[in-house]
Amino acid sequence: MTALLSTRDLVVGYEGRTVLDGLELDLPADAFTVIVGPNACGKSTLLRTMARLLTPRRGAVLLDGTQIRDLPTRDVARRLGVLPQSPLVPEGITVADLVGRGRQPYQRWWRQWSTEDGRAVDEAMRLADVTALADRPVDTLSGGQRQRVWIAMTLAQDTDALLLDEPTTFLDLAHQVEVLDLLHRLRAERGRTVVAVLHDLNQAARYADHLVAMRDGAVVAVGPPREILTADLVRDVFGLDCVVVPCPVTGAPLVVPARTQTPAVPPVPAGTSAASTRTPAVPAARTQTSAAPAGTSAPAGAPVGDA
Amino acid sequence: MTTPTPTPRDLALSAPAKQTKPSSSGPQPQDRRGRGGALAGKALLRVGPVAVPFRWRAVVVAGVLLGLLLGAVVVSLSLGTPYVAPGDVLRSLSGAGTPYDLVVRDLRLPRAVLAALAGAAFGVAGTLIQSVARNPLASPDVIGVTQGAGLAATIALTSGAAAVLVAPAALLGGLAAAVLVFALGARHGLAAQRFVLAGVAVAFAFRALIEVVMLTAEPIDGLRAQLWLIGTLAGKGWTEAAWIAGTLAVLLPVLLWAGWALRGSALDDDTARGIGLRPVARRIGLAGTGVLAAAAVTAQVGAVDFVALVAPQVARRLVRAERPPMLCAALLGALLLVLADLAGRRLFAPTQLPAGVLTAAIGGPYLIFVLLRTRGRRS
Repeated sequence: MTALLSTRDLVVGYEGRTVLDGLELDLPADAFTVIVGPNACGKSTLLRTMARLLTPRRGAVLLDGTQIRDLPTRDVARRLGVLPQSPLVPEGITVADLVGRGRQPYQRWWRQWSTEDGRAVDEAMRLADVTALADRPVDTLSGGQRQRVWIAMTLAQDTDALLLDEPTTFLDLAHQVEVLDLLHRLRAERGRTVVAVLHDLNQAARYADHLVAMRDGAVVAVGPPREILTADLVRDVFGLDCVVVPCPVTGAPLVVPARTQTPAVPPVPAGTSAASTRTPAVPAARTQTSAAPAGTSAPAGAPVGDA
Repeated sequence: MTTPTPTPRDLALSAPAKQTKPSSSGPQPQDRRGRGGALAGKALLRVGPVAVPFRWRAVVVAGVLLGLLLGAVVVSLSLGTPYVAPGDVLRSLSGAGTPYDLVVRDLRLPRAVLAALAGAAFGVAGTLIQSVARNPLASPDVIGVTQGAGLAATIALTSGAAAVLVAPAALLGGLAAAVLVFALGARHGLAAQRFVLAGVAVAFAFRALIEVVMLTAEPIDGLRAQLWLIGTLAGKGWTEAAWIAGTLAVLLPVLLWAGWALRGSALDDDTARGIGLRPVARRIGLAGTGVLAAAAVTAQVGAVDFVALVAPQVARRLVRAERPPMLCAALLGALLLVLADLAGRRLFAPTQLPAGVLTAAIGGPYLIFVLLRTRGRRS
């Protein structure tokens, strides 16, 4: 696979503190890459540097082999969409208007709109399923809708690649899944390269084709989640003891923290569940402390990396 | 009602919905009440390679404001001693020759034109400064420009300098204050909050210096400086109007760009960079333009401040846009200052009140009214 974004000897820091020190990474094109790691491991810093929102002290970010800082920002914006962590919603702006801002790199002050702009905005709103909200002010929408609107804005940019910094952080579970499904569709149906920083390891394992695990500003492991996500890796990266079992829905690795300080939940005898009425009818997964789950086939339609 | 702008015959006004065909078939996003499409309720003005989306509402508001402004100017030329009937005012303006030519054309017209131009410049300055500061309460006096101009003018007025030097000194003073604010705010890319804080600090420092100069000056000079600081159009006319018109004419190409660039100013810096903007350069350009307009107009008419504060906010609410519309803010500023000057001339005639007192008296309650009416929205 070809690398769309690469970093070479990347050194990034804030006022005296070095966050990334000599980082080398290649992110494949046409894949959904997820970057994971504990807080302050430098994953957002890495994403923001690749999105040219931060300037590295040393080293380079390459976009298709060209140093990104040598490219005009307008040209980069036509190839790389960026969604920052919590973008500020301009007061009173409507959905269609905000999505239209994504056309900025194609516009000039004398040519502020073209037929192509209209087509791209309509298409972006349809993909992100916000067409019905087009005339609504963005600040009246729910968090999940809002996030889809922002994604629609970056889609209107019509770029090959999309970088998202924790796109699910402030959303409830249903909206997190909604956003991740959308990103998966973009990759699977539109062939876009998607790179996202996520907090939730299990979501990362479920959706990513390519996982990048970071700790202390360095990359610890890179590869498909089914190959690299093991209990050893989680202990190594997060310092957490856990068991990794196949996800009952997709077969992707599922990380379950081992017993720590929490009191044990009384074991529920099979079939006599009183406390939990929604126990899924799934045979108890065999616990494995490391090895990747093999042979668990995913149901059709589940986002599984296609080799 | 007057038409807002003379429209060339070949210009095509077309609803965007007709042009933006959905790329895929089926019942697609065109069902939004048949308007807007991806343009979000805007229409598109196309002339050759130029394509500018606009809101009909903004056009109507601009037209109404222009009509009101022309009406206010005629009333302003008509009222006073002697009273001149509006018909005679129009006849005199058209060059038909009336006994009132001296009063209308030479005495009242220069002052009304000055009021309109100065108000427009204040409206433009306020729009730009508020947009960069991301604060509806920002205006030239919040970021120190007024105080810088005021200090220089006060020094000039109390040191016996020639009267012609007052305006240039005030211009330089205003710009010097702005440079100071930019230098203090630049470390973080002139970010909104830092920009406002630096401005407030500079404004207070200059304000204190003005007090020092006033207190050490001869009482009569201090009084003249006080009048200048409030802002008045009395005794001013074509010369001052020409300076402001010249400044606006020079800034016009920049303003055309600014009207477009303001669009991105409501986005945060990361988002703006993501769509290919350079937010810091853009802010400095916009704030610099606003400061130039503010300093130029303050140098000519003094610190008539409330216009720059009120006009953009009221215009924004009239147009129902997510940011102050520059053209409407300029027209509203012009209208406000013409009315304020008229009221100042006539309310307690023969005593004249400075326009700066009246702008606050008219604009303040109106701003409160508008704020109360738009309740329930975050601001």
